[in-house]
Amino acid sequence: MTGHAVIREEAPGGVSFFREALRRVWAGGVSRGCLAVLAVFALAALWGEAANAWYAWRDVTPPWQAQELAARYLAPGAEHWLGTDGLGRDVFLRLVQGARIAFLTGVVSSLIAIPIGVLLGCLGGYFGGKTDDVVVWLSTTFAAIPGLLFVLAIAMVVGKGLLGVFLAIGLTTWVGVCRLIRAEVIQQKSRGYVRAARALGFSHGRILFRHILPNVIHVALVSFTLRFPAAIGTEVFLSFLGIGAQGEPSWGTMISSARLRLWQGMWWELAAVTVSIFAVVLAFNLLGDALRDALDPRLRTVQE
Amino acid sequence: MWRYVLKRLAQAVPTVVGVVLITFVLFNVVGGSPAAMVLGQNAGARSLEEFDAARGYNKPLFFGRWTATRALEAVDFSDAPPSVRAQWGAGESGPLRLADGEALRIPFAFPLPEGETWRLTIEGRGTGFPRHGNKSGRFSTVWKKVFHGVENPEFRAEGGAVEIERVRLARGTRHVLDSQLVHYAGRLLRLDFGTSTSLNQPVGNLLRAGIGPSLALTVPILIVELAVSLALALLCAYRRGSWLDRGLVAVCVALMSVNYLVWIVIGQFVFAYKLGWFPVWGFESWRHLLLPAGIGVATGLGVNVRFYRTVLLEEMHHDYVKTAFAKGLGPGRVLFKHVLKNALGPVITNVALALPFLYTGSVLLESFFGIPGLGYLSLNAIHSSDVDVVRAVVLVGALLFTAANILADVALAWVDPRVQLS
Repeated sequence: MTGHAVIREEAPGGVSFFREALRRVWAGGVSRGCLAVLAVFALAALWGEAANAWYAWRDVTPPWQAQELAARYLAPGAEHWLGTDGLGRDVFLRLVQGARIAFLTGVVSSLIAIPIGVLLGCLGGYFGGKTDDVVVWLSTTFAAIPGLLFVLAIAMVVGKGLLGVFLAIGLTTWVGVCRLIRAEVIQQKSRGYVRAARALGFSHGRILFRHILPNVIHVALVSFTLRFPAAIGTEVFLSFLGIGAQGEPSWGTMISSARLRLWQGMWWELAAVTVSIFAVVLAFNLLGDALRDALDPRLRTVQE
Repeated sequence: MWRYVLKRLAQAVPTVVGVVLITFVLFNVVGGSPAAMVLGQNAGARSLEEFDAARGYNKPLFFGRWTATRALEAVDFSDAPPSVRAQWGAGESGPLRLADGEALRIPFAFPLPEGETWRLTIEGRGTGFPRHGNKSGRFSTVWKKVFHGVENPEFRAEGGAVEIERVRLARGTRHVLDSQLVHYAGRLLRLDFGTSTSLNQPVGNLLRAGIGPSLALTVPILIVELAVSLALALLCAYRRGSWLDRGLVAVCVALMSVNYLVWIVIGQFVFAYKLGWFPVWGFESWRHLLLPAGIGVATGLGVNVRFYRTVLLEEMHHDYVKTAFAKGLGPGRVLFKHVLKNALGPVITNVALALPFLYTGSVLLESFFGIPGLGYLSLNAIHSSDVDVVRAVVLVGALLFTAANILADVALAWVDPRVQLS
């Protein structure tokens, strides 16, 4: 009977810790500003994706690739909002495509890293023993390899292109998620609700994924907001080196070409890319901080 | 203490084995032989095979008696492209047909070298198929022949026609464990990192040549960054909550959000090109290092100041700080003698974990400013698919990281009596 009583006490209503945290994040003016900035870029990325698909389907050269030699090096103006580059291509349209690739990288690499990290972290933390030894061994080994070189090596082995970028970022960054989730699961394991579930004879899978996972998944959300800007940075880096995006405008390839034009006095392409990356990364950093503060009061970045 | 050091060393063994395995899986299993990329599209099968043999890529991955060879592409006549069918004289479609008494002409890509064992496997059917093959129903369907380089394997239809479906050739290994993994591990034990394909030099020599310039850049970065960020963090911690603290934290977050590439591009453009304060490119005197080192410090400052500030603030809440202030000590004495000393643990860990970065150098800084260090070397190696160089840099970096981890733990146990050695 006591088992029932415990469950009934925990089950109904009330505001969950997670929802309360999100409410606190939303209440902050800075966070709302960040969300607005991210929404603008996300919309641009979606528009870029739609435009890309449309021109690919029509089999027409998209306007951001169309070279117009008469309109080279145009400063920002009414016709070209952010000017044109050295081949007469519109910088604004290329910037939107760059946002598309940056967001694609952030999302796809997270879709690779977070499931691996969450699964391994859950298994290691919940079962302990030999399973945990294997998980810890795997994560220590991956963590030991210098990040940037590991990313470069994976991209080299997989080959040039975005697939290599996604895999390189995804396969090197799951370790952080795995460690956080594992620590969190170990804490939750000794809680009353888990013991109650075990006393009721639920299977390990059900306890782990239906009961514990919802209580630790906020860790994945925080890590998502913090790894997204890092993923964008890596994509920009790889594309800059010519290993990433091939034949489509990415922020990295734009920096690579704008760098040479800068010395000829053409500043707008570099400025546009710099400001875009800065805005997105700053918004994610601030949002991640706010989320972490709300979810984990012990880690407050600004202490009163 | 020594027992603790030995224990930590023993714990690092699985990690080292793991790192060797990961590099093996990455470069040998997933990557495969770089022969085609290094030698180009027009290289013949023979030179590719020789490239593989020199680097051990012609062995089976983990173990095995037989391994693939480039002397003969395995062919399946049910879906072979026309160019392959023409090589075999196999007609338009379907299996390769041999009339009674006709011998199979095998289009080896090059004469099989002497001193090796080969195994030819032919799958087919027909009344003329040799009798001593594996039986399936009434007819033998698989015929295998083991032979040595100088002989020519003879497959002849006798007593009827033969339809051949598949042909494979395999090369014999010296023993079951004559594999890429064993070859790789053995070379590592002899500290042989292989040969660079683009520079034609032993990788060990390249690493030794690159370490000096890398250290010349990264050691000053590490020291200056540690000093500056600790000083700023102490300032923030002492004046916590003030406009100075808030301003510095905001600046740190902003600094963190500026892309690394942008730092370098703009820094080089403004300070070296526009203002002409520093040389733009090269590695001739210490003046060439000032700008890249300054940019290196600037890029890491945001993260480090924030980290140290958090660490110091955790300490500032303790009672001993209040006591120290209460008994009349000045802020300098409290901060440096008491707070910093107690916060040394995370500082040591952070510095120790930055040590491997000293070795790998900074890929971008080195290539932008023409500093011939290991970062520059690895980037060029990646562009020219120089697998041995990339693998060696990754491997040594990982080993150093593991060593730095142990070093951090031991140093922590040494400076902090609160750390339990059990």
